[in-house]
Amino acid sequence: MRALALVVLILVVAGGRLAAQDSQFGIQGLGTPGKQESVRSRSAGGAFAAFDASSPLIDANLADIRRLSGSITGATSWRDVPADSGQVTLRGTRFPALVIAGPILRRLSIGGGFSTYLDRSYGITTRDTLIIRGDSVPVADQITNDGGVTDVRLAAGIRVGRALAIGAGIHMLTGSSRIVAKRVFPDSGDYRPTTSRDEVAYEGLGASVSALLDVGRDLRLAGWYRSDSKLRADLGGRTVAENDLPVSYGGALLWSPGNQVVFAGSTQWHTWSVAGAGVNAHDTFNWSLGAEIGSVGSPFRVGLRGGQMPFGANGAPTETGASAGLGRQFAGGRGRIDIGIERLVRKDDRLTEKVWTMLLGVSVRP
Amino acid sequence: MRRLVGTLGLLAAALTLGCAEQLIAPGDCPDFCPNGQIVLVDTVFTTIITRDSAYRGYLQPYQSAQAAATEIPGVQSRPFFKLAPVPMRVKAVPGSATDTSTVRIFADSSRLRVAIVRKDTAAPNLRVQLYALPLTVDSTTTFTDLDPSFSGPIVDSVNVSDLLTRPLIRDTTLDRALGDSIRTDSAGHVLLIAPADSTYYLYFSLDTLQAPLTEVDSGRLAFGVRVVADTAVSVGFGTNESSTNGPVIEWFYHFTLTDSVNAKTDSISRVPSFDSFVFDPPNAPLDSNLAIGGAPSARSLIRVTIPPALRDSIDVVRATLLLVPVTPVNGVASDSFHIVARQVTTDLGAKSPLGNDAAGSVVIHPGVSDTVRLEITDMVRSWVLLDTLSTTAFMLSPLPEATSFTEARFYSSLTPAFRPALHVTFVRRFPFGRP
Repeated sequence: MRALALVVLILVVAGGRLAAQDSQFGIQGLGTPGKQESVRSRSAGGAFAAFDASSPLIDANLADIRRLSGSITGATSWRDVPADSGQVTLRGTRFPALVIAGPILRRLSIGGGFSTYLDRSYGITTRDTLIIRGDSVPVADQITNDGGVTDVRLAAGIRVGRALAIGAGIHMLTGSSRIVAKRVFPDSGDYRPTTSRDEVAYEGLGASVSALLDVGRDLRLAGWYRSDSKLRADLGGRTVAENDLPVSYGGALLWSPGNQVVFAGSTQWHTWSVAGAGVNAHDTFNWSLGAEIGSVGSPFRVGLRGGQMPFGANGAPTETGASAGLGRQFAGGRGRIDIGIERLVRKDDRLTEKVWTMLLGVSVRP
Repeated sequence: MRRLVGTLGLLAAALTLGCAEQLIAPGDCPDFCPNGQIVLVDTVFTTIITRDSAYRGYLQPYQSAQAAATEIPGVQSRPFFKLAPVPMRVKAVPGSATDTSTVRIFADSSRLRVAIVRKDTAAPNLRVQLYALPLTVDSTTTFTDLDPSFSGPIVDSVNVSDLLTRPLIRDTTLDRALGDSIRTDSAGHVLLIAPADSTYYLYFSLDTLQAPLTEVDSGRLAFGVRVVADTAVSVGFGTNESSTNGPVIEWFYHFTLTDSVNAKTDSISRVPSFDSFVFDPPNAPLDSNLAIGGAPSARSLIRVTIPPALRDSIDVVRATLLLVPVTPVNGVASDSFHIVARQVTTDLGAKSPLGNDAAGSVVIHPGVSDTVRLEITDMVRSWVLLDTLSTTAFMLSPLPEATSFTEARFYSSLTPAFRPALHVTFVRRFPFGRP
């Protein structure tokens, strides 16, 4: 009964929007890259993502799945953005990752799901005064963009020896944005307000390979490589923009010095600069460190992360963060709830953005 | 631990599933705004108005709800009306089914009401003069036909400016008779100002010499109205077509029944059977220019060829028709009138059916030679956005129509230097999809 309730909860949650948290730094670029991490990994700064089959970061970790399982990640963010009149607090609820996986052979597991590749949800308002017909006419614009690019993954992981697991996946990048551009003329009855709206569809492809290597009983290494093609933006069946997507690669290390504590660290690089100068894209490097303390059934997690964001008019913005969380297994290990909290600070020379994120993850193994 | 995780889990679930979105923040441009912006374009399309034409005859002076009374240099306009006949005899034995004999009625006096619905507050010492006209007046009567009558004796005259300075009189009798407070002079003229719309109701008390009730004419009378003031003056009198503001005469009469030696008194009201106005000089014949106004009224049909640039624009935020006057409109300030644009639903030329609602209007002030700007944003917007197959034409007509000699003339597309133009401010298609 509990398992059924959890499955229902997953379906309800998965019916929502798949997207990561937004950022002002993604407005002028292709968007804000998603964090392909489960709540367990994200609560530990993202350091465990390469070793956690619930995180869609790499594919080799699917080889460790021995039962059909599914997990969903939910996140609600409160983001403080500087404005003329002080700070504005923005709110957004997202479901950035869904993974369903299970074994099909003794050593081979397959999995799939969705995760946010780029979030393109934002809204901005601007005010200006234009000289029209020789008169000063105040105008107020509002441009909202609701949507993003989702990474639909189909992957397989296979254990090719006691110490080595490898994985590969293909990624279909798909999604859309509903864009509304409004202009009103607050102080003039002569000018009519104008609204234009349309929906842009996004499309792209990618492939990934990865490996996990156990070095002794306490140490596990991970490496991955991913290449994405181009992101095509279509409007009414016509391509209106095309941007190259990055090659991504990284490595991670997991150390288990005892039964009650696990440490992990990871690094990753993304060649976002290929997306083009027109979107102010920069290559990025990101790192994370995390620890999971306590029993497998109810661990406590902490983590740190740092690095860069890919889009910024004043160079690559930096992102640093700290996170913590708790987990709890129930139903004899067939279900798990993870909760976490994350604090991120993103900044460049001109803008500092601070984010609190409440994380909720549900995993089931019916 | 288990209880703590459960509690925090429920809290996280509530926050995650129950949080309302708020994604809109003030933009910090250009660094943190989308590259695509809303672009406004302001252009005067000088050649898209073509095949514009003027037509006359939509409304005749006798069909209008007002009649102009004007005395300005070079122009005179005079309303006139012919009152309906009065039954000159009443039954000699009221209520008898067998006795059908009648006795004649004899007028004692009458009270004539006229209404000034368009006032000229700038005219000092405004007087309204009544003239007796021949009963032959009709729709073919011209100014010249009536000029001899207006050169004859004045039936009655009232100084409206003087009446306006008189104190208000109010008592219950007046309230019953006239409905409100009045001003009056020693000659018995009464001025009542309608509370609703400030219309001036003028009452003339006429004796049987001024307004004779003759059997041969069946009690019909015709009057002409002339206004004079110390300066140029122009006012508008309500006509029968206005339904409530037309002239009304109330006859007070007596008669003696067959079996009685005492006269009985009674009264009866009559409205005009015909009213109109004449003016001199008449409106000039139509030429190659656009004409709007006058009597019979003239209208102008404007056809617009929407250019591809406008079709491709996403939205029109302002559209203004520019009309260059050939000459300033003749008249005084009170002769101002509106020009109204109405959408042509099907282009059949002069008899094109028009939309019910005005697409725009502008006030035309006599003596002003500036370019006339008529806002027609909603109509042009509908052509571009809503129905690209709709007829892109509209009719310009005066409001009120055929109530005065005043007529605006504008250059048509046949005069390239001053042809009508459309000043359009539009928004270019937003660059959707481009980062």
